Amino acid sequence: MKLLPAEGSKIPTWRMAITYAVMAGIGIAFAVRLFNLQILQGTTYLEAARENRITNVRLPAARGVIYDRNGSLLVRNLPSYNVLVTPAYLPDSEAEIETIYARLSELTGVPLVTSVTVPGARCRDERGIRQLVEERDSIAPYEAWPVACDVGETVARIIREQQVDMPGVSIEAEPVRDYTTGALTSAILGYMGPIPESLKDTYEALGFVVDRDLIGYAGIEAAYQTLLAGSNGFKQVEEDVAGNPLREVGEVTQPTPGYSLCLTIDTRLQAAADSALRNQMEWVNWSSGEADRTPLGVVIAMNPQTGEILALSTLPTYDTTRFSPFIPLDYYEELINDERGKPLVDHAVSSTFPPGSTFKLVTSVGALNERVIDPNQTILDPGKITIQNAYFPNDPGQSKDFVCWNREGHGRVDFLHGLAFSCNVYFYKIGGGFPGEPIREGGLGVNDLYRYAHALGYGAPLGLDLPAEEGGLIPSTDWKRITLGESWSTGDTYNTATGQGYVLATPLQVLTSAATIANNGKVMWPHLVDQVLDGEGNVVKEIEPCVLWDLLDGVITPVEEIGSCRDLPESITDQLEERESTPDLDVHPEVLELVRQGMRMVVTEGTAEDYAQLDNISSAGKTGTGEFCDEVASEQGLCVPGAWPSHAWYVAFAPYENPEIAVIAFVYNGTEGAVTSGPIVKQVLEAYFNLKAIDAARQS
Amino acid sequence: MQVSARVWRHFDVWLLAAVAALTIASVAMIQSAIAGNESLAEAVPRQMIYAVIGLVVIVVAAAIDYRFWSAIARPIYVVVLVLLALIMAAGFVGFGAARWFNVGIVNIQPSELSKVLMIIVLADYLARHQHEIGQFRIFIRSLILAAVPAVLVFLQPDLSTAIVLGVIWVALTFASGAKLRYFLVLLAIGAVILVLLSPLLIDYFNGPYQAGEDFYFVQRYQMQRIVSFLLPDPEAHHGESYNVNQAKIAIGSGGWFGQGYGHGTQTQLRFMKVRHTDFIFSALSEEFGFVGAIILLAVLGFIILRCLRAARMARDQFGALICYGVAILLLFQSAINVGMNLALIPVSGLPLPFVSYGGSSLVANLLGIGMVESVILRHKRIEL
Repeated sequence: MKLLPAEGSKIPTWRMAITYAVMAGIGIAFAVRLFNLQILQGTTYLEAARENRITNVRLPAARGVIYDRNGSLLVRNLPSYNVLVTPAYLPDSEAEIETIYARLSELTGVPLVTSVTVPGARCRDERGIRQLVEERDSIAPYEAWPVACDVGETVARIIREQQVDMPGVSIEAEPVRDYTTGALTSAILGYMGPIPESLKDTYEALGFVVDRDLIGYAGIEAAYQTLLAGSNGFKQVEEDVAGNPLREVGEVTQPTPGYSLCLTIDTRLQAAADSALRNQMEWVNWSSGEADRTPLGVVIAMNPQTGEILALSTLPTYDTTRFSPFIPLDYYEELINDERGKPLVDHAVSSTFPPGSTFKLVTSVGALNERVIDPNQTILDPGKITIQNAYFPNDPGQSKDFVCWNREGHGRVDFLHGLAFSCNVYFYKIGGGFPGEPIREGGLGVNDLYRYAHALGYGAPLGLDLPAEEGGLIPSTDWKRITLGESWSTGDTYNTATGQGYVLATPLQVLTSAATIANNGKVMWPHLVDQVLDGEGNVVKEIEPCVLWDLLDGVITPVEEIGSCRDLPESITDQLEERESTPDLDVHPEVLELVRQGMRMVVTEGTAEDYAQLDNISSAGKTGTGEFCDEVASEQGLCVPGAWPSHAWYVAFAPYENPEIAVIAFVYNGTEGAVTSGPIVKQVLEAYFNLKAIDAARQS
Repeated sequence: MQVSARVWRHFDVWLLAAVAALTIASVAMIQSAIAGNESLAEAVPRQMIYAVIGLVVIVVAAAIDYRFWSAIARPIYVVVLVLLALIMAAGFVGFGAARWFNVGIVNIQPSELSKVLMIIVLADYLARHQHEIGQFRIFIRSLILAAVPAVLVFLQPDLSTAIVLGVIWVALTFASGAKLRYFLVLLAIGAVILVLLSPLLIDYFNGPYQAGEDFYFVQRYQMQRIVSFLLPDPEAHHGESYNVNQAKIAIGSGGWFGQGYGHGTQTQLRFMKVRHTDFIFSALSEEFGFVGAIILLAVLGFIILRCLRAARMARDQFGALICYGVAILLLFQSAINVGMNLALIPVSGLPLPFVSYGGSSLVANLLGIGMVESVILRHKRIEL
């Protein structure tokens, strides 16, 4: 190009050249940038444009409901009404907006502004209406956001009628859980809560909507979360910038409603068990003159032949009706702060306690089956035996006394009387051996105690379909060496043989040990769900009883086969897998028969005679007084050797001839097992047989 | 002022054709970009009316001998100052930042017209003092000449137009042959002022900026735009960089050939704001792709090149400077607008010449083209 200036024009050529160069530079820069944006990064931006306009909508699935074994509804879904505000749709005029805020505040009771400045989760925000809307306006102005939740049907209806005058305000009906039986079944059903931050990715991958969908936090709600929840539907909607849906893109996946559950629980028996426990705990507190003498208690009733849990109650508990649609912070803190009672913990399976004399069932089965003693031979109970320290045999100061609860001693006792009167010295001697008695050298011993405890259900979770089941603790020589760095002593064996010392068990395990003896050696899988129903109420799965292992069948069940008959989806429970070796043993039938006789004698003439005997029904049981020394007792100076505070246990089954119910009652710091827990079990058994009679009468 | 029929044979038909093509494309693109927004529906017929008015303006301006403008340069300057003072007064009277005169059904934006008129004023002054252009005195006087309206525009406040006026002054004094070291001196003075201002700026950003207050004459939103460009917040979705991001997505999703006219989702679903004005280039790039965007840039480039060609052909310095001034006006506004669309420079309210919606801007630019045509028509000293 000729750059010479035309005649008369005095724009210097080189200055023109610079102009052209600048222009070319800008042109090239733009072309390169365009090429980069449109061609090289084109797909990225195309995807970004798609993300802009395509909204993934998760269609909420209806959560399954829960019935008890008689078909009465324990949990249902009710609509809860939320008031939403879409900031972008509010009127332009500040005055009109303020009028709307004021009207909403008046109707819902949510203040305009509060002193809270910290944002909360959806529906858990404690800030005022204006604060909320102003924040949402800067985050997602076209998204409707709740400013008041669970406002009640009347308020919702009023706002709906006045919606025309309040642009930007809308009402949303959200299904929430309604626990019809409230606190009575909270230990079984559990509760729901928002998806925690830590599990956000997991649940989002499953199609859940964080901030909208709730998940089970405890109980059946948590254990059967996958079955109950169903799966959200899915559709893609093209929206413009204002969030107006324009059209649906692609196929719509309809939501799959969750399965409903029919539990093995009988709500009527549950109520009887709950009030028996409650009354007895109140009586213990009242009679001792200490308002918080016993902080907690547990009752469980089970069908020993099937493993069905008929009632399960722990106290103190929480009121699930107050947990829905969301958990109030002050109530939650109140529950959390009860450090002794721990209402949110399901003590039936998640807490462990020294089982005390109820553990003598293990020692009995072991000693008889291993022929440590002849059950007819008598053994002397002088009320107190002394073990010399192995290293200082001649120093009386180093020796240790083991006493019977009856300091007078029971004199000479045979097996049946030893069990019936819960004679400690008898069990010390057969458990750990004693020179001069007709007992196998060393007694049953720690290793066999360990094996027989596991055989009767101790030492590992039983796979009940509730979350967080504990396995308890059965000590062994290795365990003591590893954990405490000390050698096992005869005294340890004595303690273990009577359910003291290091032994810890859940109430469910103690119940299972008695139920196994009642059920002639078959350890049944304890379970809470009887049937799985689809969204229309058709039974899609009957949960069949499952024998975890059988002590009398002469076959040792390998550990990997234990629980294989449980016909449940894998996600429900995997706690049985904690076992390392099989608990199954080969037991002679007459051993269990003899133990049952002993348990019968407990009721007829033994420790429970005055407290747990039923009028028309023959029952058999075992008392337990588990000595403990926790922080509270220790602070009060109650941990005096030989006179420790104790938990009250009583476990029983009935009828003796053909057991169909096994019940355990546990009262923390309840002192005497027979006195405190015996009557609870008795009332539950009476309620059971009364209800049975009522049902039979109704059917005929 | 006689119009000889013979001079019309020099009329630059290519220039007119290119301008007409862009103007027509603009109307079509505005039609697409309003995306069914009813409050913008009248933009299309309006732009058509302005295009017709503009065509008349080109012919009339071409017919008028450009040297006539030289004769009335001083009255023009007075008119510019009065208009800008009036609009500023209107702004002070409580309408906030006023940029328009509402005259009947049309709004006239004096600052758009002032850009073209200041080209005439400065070209006239510099051409008259061509022989003493090397003197610092002339340099400073021309600066003052430009600075007075620039400050008035700045106070409206209309930062971008003020910058355009500044650029026109720089371009015209540069083209006239002013010594480069004068520019360096000016630059040094500017740097010193910036350094002196920096404590004030630091104070401002630490306090009043957060509180949403203005920085003296510069309004907060203008400071905010600069900040959002210099320090983009990657978290902000609906924040300050929202529109720039949306424009980038729009352009990027265009690919080679675009989504098709009326089918760009960023435009049609209104994810992009001010689609028919500031961000019409993005809308066009989304719907017509890389090819469409390059064609648009090529046509704009062609128009500017034709203006620069006219500058070289002009028979006198005044004509040359007018053509050069118009070329720079178009080049600078295009570069700023496209650069902003491509997220290369901060967001400013400068329209894309001939394409963005806006009557005053279109008519002013077409007036400039008419004057360039006038220069071309009369580039021969003696017309036989």
